Amino acid sequence: MIRTVNLTKIFRTDEVETTALNKVSFEIKKGEFVAIMGPSGCGKSTLLNILGLLDNPSEGEYFFLGSEVSRFSEKQRANSRKQNIGFVFQNFNLIDELNVYENVELPLIYLGMSSSERKKRVESALEQMQITHRRKHFPLQLSGGQQQRVAVARAVVANPHLILADEPTGNLDSAHGEEVMNLLASLNQGGTTIIMVTHSQRDAEYAQRIIRLFDGQIINENIKSGRSEMPVI
Amino acid sequence: MISNFLTTAVRSLLRQKYYALINLIGLSVGIAAFLLIALYVQYETGFDKHLSKRDNLFRVVEIQNEPGVGEQHVAITMGPLAEALKTDFPQVVDAVRFMPGFDIQVVSFGNKNFRERGLYYTDPSVISMFNIGFLQGDPSTALSRPMSVVLSEKSVKKYFGSSVSVIGRSMMLGKRSFVITGIMKDQPEQTHLFFDILVSISSVENLADFEWMKGWGSNSLITYIELDKPESRQTIEEKFPEFLKKNVFSKEEGWEFLEMYLQPLNEVYLDSQHIKFQNVSAAGDINLVIVFIVIAVLILLVACVNFINISIARSVKRAREVGIRKVLGADRLSLVYQFISESLLLTLLAIFIAVGFVELALPEMNKLLATDFHIDFRGNWIFNAGLFLILIIISLAAGSYPAFYLSRFQPVKVLKGGGSIKGSSAGYLSKGLVVFQFIISVGLMFSVMVINDQVGYMKNKDLGISYRDAIFVFFGDDDGAGKSEPLRNELLKDPRIRTVSGCSFMNGVSGSQGPVFVDDSARTKLTMRFGYVDYDFFEAMGVKFVAGRNFDRRIASDKGGAVIINQAAARKLGWENPLGMKFKTVMGADTTLKPVVIGVINDYHYFSMRSLIEPAIYVLNPEMFRGLLIGYCAESDKQAVRKFIENKWHDHFPDTPFQPVVADEFAADSYKNDQKLFSLFVYFTTISVLLSVLGLFGLTSLLIEQKTRIIGIRRVLGGSVWKITTQLIRDYMLLVVIAGAIALPVTNYLLEQQLSQFAYRIEISAIHMVSAVLILTSIAFITIVFKAYRAAGANPVKSLKYE
Repeated sequence: MIRTVNLTKIFRTDEVETTALNKVSFEIKKGEFVAIMGPSGCGKSTLLNILGLLDNPSEGEYFFLGSEVSRFSEKQRANSRKQNIGFVFQNFNLIDELNVYENVELPLIYLGMSSSERKKRVESALEQMQITHRRKHFPLQLSGGQQQRVAVARAVVANPHLILADEPTGNLDSAHGEEVMNLLASLNQGGTTIIMVTHSQRDAEYAQRIIRLFDGQIINENIKSGRSEMPVI
Repeated sequence: MISNFLTTAVRSLLRQKYYALINLIGLSVGIAAFLLIALYVQYETGFDKHLSKRDNLFRVVEIQNEPGVGEQHVAITMGPLAEALKTDFPQVVDAVRFMPGFDIQVVSFGNKNFRERGLYYTDPSVISMFNIGFLQGDPSTALSRPMSVVLSEKSVKKYFGSSVSVIGRSMMLGKRSFVITGIMKDQPEQTHLFFDILVSISSVENLADFEWMKGWGSNSLITYIELDKPESRQTIEEKFPEFLKKNVFSKEEGWEFLEMYLQPLNEVYLDSQHIKFQNVSAAGDINLVIVFIVIAVLILLVACVNFINISIARSVKRAREVGIRKVLGADRLSLVYQFISESLLLTLLAIFIAVGFVELALPEMNKLLATDFHIDFRGNWIFNAGLFLILIIISLAAGSYPAFYLSRFQPVKVLKGGGSIKGSSAGYLSKGLVVFQFIISVGLMFSVMVINDQVGYMKNKDLGISYRDAIFVFFGDDDGAGKSEPLRNELLKDPRIRTVSGCSFMNGVSGSQGPVFVDDSARTKLTMRFGYVDYDFFEAMGVKFVAGRNFDRRIASDKGGAVIINQAAARKLGWENPLGMKFKTVMGADTTLKPVVIGVINDYHYFSMRSLIEPAIYVLNPEMFRGLLIGYCAESDKQAVRKFIENKWHDHFPDTPFQPVVADEFAADSYKNDQKLFSLFVYFTTISVLLSVLGLFGLTSLLIEQKTRIIGIRRVLGGSVWKITTQLIRDYMLLVVIAGAIALPVTNYLLEQQLSQFAYRIEISAIHMVSAVLILTSIAFITIVFKAYRAAGANPVKSLKYE
């Protein structure tokens, strides 16, 4: 589903040049649950942004669902993104002016779906996340855990092939964090591919594979289920 | 999708109520002011539109330029001109003369007597040329014969009560009987030449008193011509010198120094400030209209700039939303749609509120201008189209930059908490707009101060004549002065009456001016305004003498043999001591005597304050008096004293209407019209200044709010908040200096242009400029300090976390 070859991202300002990703290559298969770990500033989020088609790499190739997408225009990326990828962020990133229902509905609007179809899908996503009773509430009226459930509902409502989660439990207490992780795990069991950036070893345990980054490079790839560690570089 | 946009828009506005309110109120007030001015401009530019042939109609204007007299444009022409134009130029389809019924003091039918203002002698083809609608009578012959009169519907009602057939009936115009030959539709008020009663000009052409109408020596009629096509104007004007040579200069009684041109009828109402003797019922001023249009556009611009500035500043808070929407698949176009539709929504809302404001303000404005402006959604399609245009233009102008700017945000950056406008092009744009805002504000503030001072100057300037506690009543015939002596004596017996004086009019002067020859060998002559006043006039009206004396009852030769001149006349003639100087002849003086100057009066404004006080000469000749000036004591009951005068008047002149001109009202009409318009100007400029100040306040507040984080960090580190404040003040200072450097010279130039139209004006001083800049900078400073103080008082932990 995903294959990167020598993915490199360099940020330049007038005085400083920072290599955020340095020739990163890996592959993720459909239905996998992969965690990306590493210390702050190692390039996790940059990698996730590129994988989520929010940003283009400086160099290297990125194959997503069989197409090379690293040179896609903004419009092409937006198009591919809305059809295939759902996002869950650490700070939820819900739109404060929209209520729970409207937030979850938003991706379907951009997909141009009919309102009856939207209603059906949103209801089902809310039910799945068990927040139907909060549908009329605004994000600021909800607890962190509830907000993240809304965010997950929004991420799954369009049935994307891939869900990208950027520290989904970072702003939650352990009980709510576990709740969200269980949701992600059950989505994965339903066949959705999940890539998650996390600092938490506990959260990473939910994944089938852990990619560890350091200074923009993969230092190891830990495949669980008894398989041995396999250095990539 | 639209409903999602609108939901977000409304909720986002509600969440930032403060700025939404500034934006909405600013925009509404701006649009309301624009609409009010638009109604005024539409009215002013809508004159004479009822004349279907107006594009082909022209008024003949003369330029008189006698040496030593100076050039003047006049709208009055000679009697034979109309016919000669028709004969000499095939392009002239028709020509019509108008002459006010000067000689008709009273119009009467039975016991109904009125003095009529809208009464003109005119040629028969006026009916077709001015497409006058007829209700009764034959329009093709109605004014063909002498002693024919055509009445308006309103006049018929006034004299005959009902609309019974009045064709063929007789009525008295002055001392002569006329036959009613037609009833015409009432003329619209929105015309430069309003008439109620038209009399066939052939009724006077053959009278001895009107002999001058047959010659080329006297200018008294207004001539309108109809051309085959507007373009013929130039052809005709090119041939005017030849035409004048043949018809005027060759005649013994004709003028020697004269030019002529054709003024399009479409320009007569608005663009005739330079033309004298127009005999029009209404006159506008194109300059004022342009000034108002400029203000209207500036007000809208300021409102738009406010909108853009606040939108850009707010965009930092909207950046996250844009990021999220982009992540969820929104492309740039849909975001542009979203922000444009938000701006459309806000503008639409502002328009609704603005219409409400207009409805609230209209009664006041109508009272001020004595107009009847109203919003007419059904009948006034231009207004509706204008509203729609405002909606589109403001929405696009105000919404497009924020739309394109916001939609450019990179989701990755803004979701990470970036997306600051600092250093981006929007920062420059915002600064540019602030400078623009300051330029307009400084310019307008500067203008308000200068114009306000000019209005105050005009209001307080001594007119030199006191229009108070007096009325003027017109006589019923030319011999009124002789017959009025018993009335005068009776009135003066009442202690409430302080003076009774005959005169040509309340302002002392008559409607005519002409050359006056000095009794010297150099044949010195000067064009002067003639005035005819009694012994008591100057004292009664508070006109002061600077030299010599008033007319004296004890000196018989004062009647016709003596003249009083104003200072302007003495100046123009170069006389340091005018007393004792003699003239050859003066119109209205005794022709057998050489009138001698016995007194010089202070220059007083006999016409509007706008025009220069021109040379005037006063003669004591009761035959030239047109009515009585009756002054009463200030402390008397005005209603009662006027009633008393009216009763006495009817006792002595039972057939002459008592239609007094009240001094204060006359002054208000002729002197305060300018003041009214300038008050309006000051209102609107004040609104635009307030709007730009409101915008500055809003923008500064937002800029400070964005500094909350910096202020927080500084506080955590134990630093001073005031450093940020002084930094901001320094930034603003620079912008103000730039704006002032641009605005002040430009505005100064424009103001000088406007002021130069006033004969009596103030001088622009540095105080005006400095105070304009100071007031605006103070407002910005107060905002900065107030907001910075509040930001500094906030808990830094909160502000840091918030960011």
